[in-house]
Amino acid sequence: MSRWEYFVKRLLLTVPVLFLVLSFLFVMLRMGPIDPVAAILGPQATGGDAQAIRERLGLDEPLWQQYVDFITSFLTFDFGQSWVVQAGRPIIEIVVGAAPATLWLGFWAILLPLFIGIPLGFYAGLNPNSLGDYTASFGGILWQALPNFWLSVLALATLRQTRNGGGPFGFDWYAFGPDFLSRDISITGTPDFDWFSTMDLLFFPVPYVSDWTALAIDVKLILPPALILGSASMAAELRIGRTAMLETVNANFVETARAKGLTSRVIVWKHIFRNALIPLLPVITSEAFLLIGGSVIVEQIFNINGLGRIFFQSVTQGDLPMAGALLFIFTLIILFLNILQDFLYTIIDPRVGYDQ
Amino acid sequence: MPDPANGEAVESTKRRRLLGLLGGGAAVSLAGCSDQEPSDGSDGNDTDGEDGSDGMDGEDGEDGEDGGDSGPTYADQAQAAWERAVENPLPEDEDLRQEAYVEMEEAVRDDAVLTPLYHGFTELFWYDYVDVPLTGALGKHWQQLNTTTVEGDDTLNLINSTFDELDPIMSTDTASSIVITQIYENLTEFPNGVPEVENQLLEEYEVSEDGTTWTFTLKEDIQFHGGGTVTAQDVKYSWRRTVESANSERATFTLNQPTGLGIDVEMDDEGDPEPDSLAVEVIDDQTLEIQLVGPNPDVLSIIAYSSFAVIPEGYVDDIEGYDGEVSHDEFSTDVANGTGPFELDEFNVDEDVSVVRNDDYWGETASVEAVNWEIIEDDQAAWTYSLEQNADRFEMPTFAYEADAIDAEEDDRGRQVGTYGPAGDLEEEVNYLGVSEISTFYFGFNASNTERAARQAVAYVMNKEQIVQEVFAGRGTPAYSFLPPAIWPTGQDGYESFLEDYPYGLGESDSQGAQTVLEEAGFTSDSPTEMTLTTYESEVFQTAAELIRDLLSGTGLDLSLETSQFSTLQSRGEDGELQMYSLGWIWSWPAVPYGMFQLEPLNTNTSVMPEETNGFYLDWHTNLEEEAE
Repeated sequence: MSRWEYFVKRLLLTVPVLFLVLSFLFVMLRMGPIDPVAAILGPQATGGDAQAIRERLGLDEPLWQQYVDFITSFLTFDFGQSWVVQAGRPIIEIVVGAAPATLWLGFWAILLPLFIGIPLGFYAGLNPNSLGDYTASFGGILWQALPNFWLSVLALATLRQTRNGGGPFGFDWYAFGPDFLSRDISITGTPDFDWFSTMDLLFFPVPYVSDWTALAIDVKLILPPALILGSASMAAELRIGRTAMLETVNANFVETARAKGLTSRVIVWKHIFRNALIPLLPVITSEAFLLIGGSVIVEQIFNINGLGRIFFQSVTQGDLPMAGALLFIFTLIILFLNILQDFLYTIIDPRVGYDQ
Repeated sequence: MPDPANGEAVESTKRRRLLGLLGGGAAVSLAGCSDQEPSDGSDGNDTDGEDGSDGMDGEDGEDGEDGGDSGPTYADQAQAAWERAVENPLPEDEDLRQEAYVEMEEAVRDDAVLTPLYHGFTELFWYDYVDVPLTGALGKHWQQLNTTTVEGDDTLNLINSTFDELDPIMSTDTASSIVITQIYENLTEFPNGVPEVENQLLEEYEVSEDGTTWTFTLKEDIQFHGGGTVTAQDVKYSWRRTVESANSERATFTLNQPTGLGIDVEMDDEGDPEPDSLAVEVIDDQTLEIQLVGPNPDVLSIIAYSSFAVIPEGYVDDIEGYDGEVSHDEFSTDVANGTGPFELDEFNVDEDVSVVRNDDYWGETASVEAVNWEIIEDDQAAWTYSLEQNADRFEMPTFAYEADAIDAEEDDRGRQVGTYGPAGDLEEEVNYLGVSEISTFYFGFNASNTERAARQAVAYVMNKEQIVQEVFAGRGTPAYSFLPPAIWPTGQDGYESFLEDYPYGLGESDSQGAQTVLEEAGFTSDSPTEMTLTTYESEVFQTAAELIRDLLSGTGLDLSLETSQFSTLQSRGEDGELQMYSLGWIWSWPAVPYGMFQLEPLNTNTSVMPEETNGFYLDWHTNLEEEAE
């Protein structure tokens, strides 16, 4: 089987997965323990109001009818309206409104670990059992062990005390970079993306940065939560990077290269580095999955109005269509990332295929 | 608006109400739950009245303890008291009703079908550069912010919780009413949330002799933000929306008695109200008349509730006969058009809301140019925002709270007023207000699934003061009655004497009493009875539950605990599956019946809930003599 056949097969396999997920969602949401009517009305529910809402939400329809409606509307991205969290607003509108903040957070939460974790890991792998290796490895394990919610609370408590130079050595996070105090900006909150504009270039909208100060503010706002959100994956990248480096360094082809008389610089960058990246690839793509889960907590504590916080609200308040739609979107993202990962594998590593 | 003038207005409206109703003696249909059949004739006023004055309160209870066979049960007492109260709605029967409600409380207490835990207690803190009127027991969401000043700034910054609609008839939470109160206005109001009703858009009113026809006259020349004068047609349209719009979540507040106004309406075959059949009649531009299904002593309080807010006639497209200037979607979050001191500026759902000053306001024009609410749910984020002085008035999360830092004295409304700090992260002294709210959080028992001895044992061991201290650091008022002291029917003295008679021990845990009552019922630690306590996800109730379980160990009652989601708990309660559970009730207006109706034994029947009954999940009707047969 060629590797492209393999790839197409993987692609087709996602269809039944998608259906299974949708059916599971339906069972969980529509037949689970949460009564949306009670959730909407709160403790002061009365019979008449409850029945009116039940009718409005279509909960009186037969179950199979609800199932068919559910599947068809989800597949066409028609998620309907939110029931509780933002009652009456179209879900797709809410998701589009909250997605930028999560993307912004996710972008930095992936980027920061990449540029800190992998270099550190490679450094440790190239200098095994040195003091630097021990420091990096031990620090990585410790960093990974600290739970996100605890780190978030701690970071917030520390940062807010640096106001007016109250930090160690007179450090003031508020005055660091763009000044927050004079602008009455909180260190928590949702980035407002004022710096983002588009201009039409040959009838295509091209994004550009219109306000560099606003960009700096948004970066500063997102930096602490992004570092915390990326903390676990940063440590994972460090450790896997180190192992991959160690294995590749001791491989036969490296010895051959050395025997050919290549400089160590060429050996490291051309031969070792590329091969060490292969085991890192699934780690990086699966990070997105971790980010979706982790952003629930980090967004809640840093008061960022993103998908994670909305998901948290919709689950705790019994907003079935909203929670279902978000789960469906998360599933799509993960399926897409899996395919992307397979695709990259087929490109990077020619050995991938079903038989062998 | 100056206080003395308003005070006079209240006095005179009260007097007028009394005069208007005097002499009315019409038959009254049973109110309460609209679907229920009256269990006896509606003409029993006089005899019932005599029953009331006999005052067979606590003593009767002793007899009932021996079992339902001899004499009336506690449930019978409560049912009789409730019927007496609703069948005598006229002002001259005020004393009779008050006694009846107290009698219900006593029946509830002695049968221990409901054990209150605490009344909500709100504490507000604000920086010295802010000058804001003190709020009352109804809560800060009743407060219009036009009289608030901020030194050195023209914007007032506050924190709010998430909400998603500015449509008054959709608002069921305090977060949205905080904003709605600034934009929209009602015929009456509770200024600053103090439980004394005053006129808002209302000039004066009259009541017919039988107490069922109310004529309201509006103030003149009050302008909507979008132009146009407030007329009786606008009021009619706004109130029609509360029952006819599919978006309304408060139709019962308009149609039911005594859990609402009880305006007459015609229903179609499907049980929906016929369009334009609500008995609200426009007399002229300033005058309108409503027809109630029965006399209602709480009309002026109820129309202060936010669902009765006035919007321009034909503004929204969601009832028959109006195309609407805006669609309902826009009306929910994008646009608003009321008469309040502020106009809607911008609403970013889940991020922030801002309102700007209405320069043509009919009352006192606001001193700040704008009010901005940052929407924050998380305690850490909210506390950070407050410390940064980004919020001018705030609440304090328990982790940052130090009770010792409060320096406050009680004012004439029973509020704690003073200063707080500096303490902890807070580096300066701030103003402090602590108010006991009109809300009650309680443990309920399904009477058909539990033994009375077990229920009483729980009441004996529960030390409410200790629980409030442990969970809230003392930031709650221990509750001994379902009705909060602020609206106790027979006043402060009546409440004190109720406390004196409290049989289960005040501020202490009486394990001996629990053991005795269980032994009398035949339960010992060797042959115990079992009970499950279901709490929703609330730290208070979970902690209280653990305490109670530990205190009960070794007595004749084995308590097992489970936690369930709030909505799950509600639906299981409606199915009658719970034994002991935790819930709360928050008064939307300060009236005794709006609360007590849930304790009427016939209204606690879970087998027909929620279609026909809407009380607590007590199944107390099974203890009624006639039902038991």
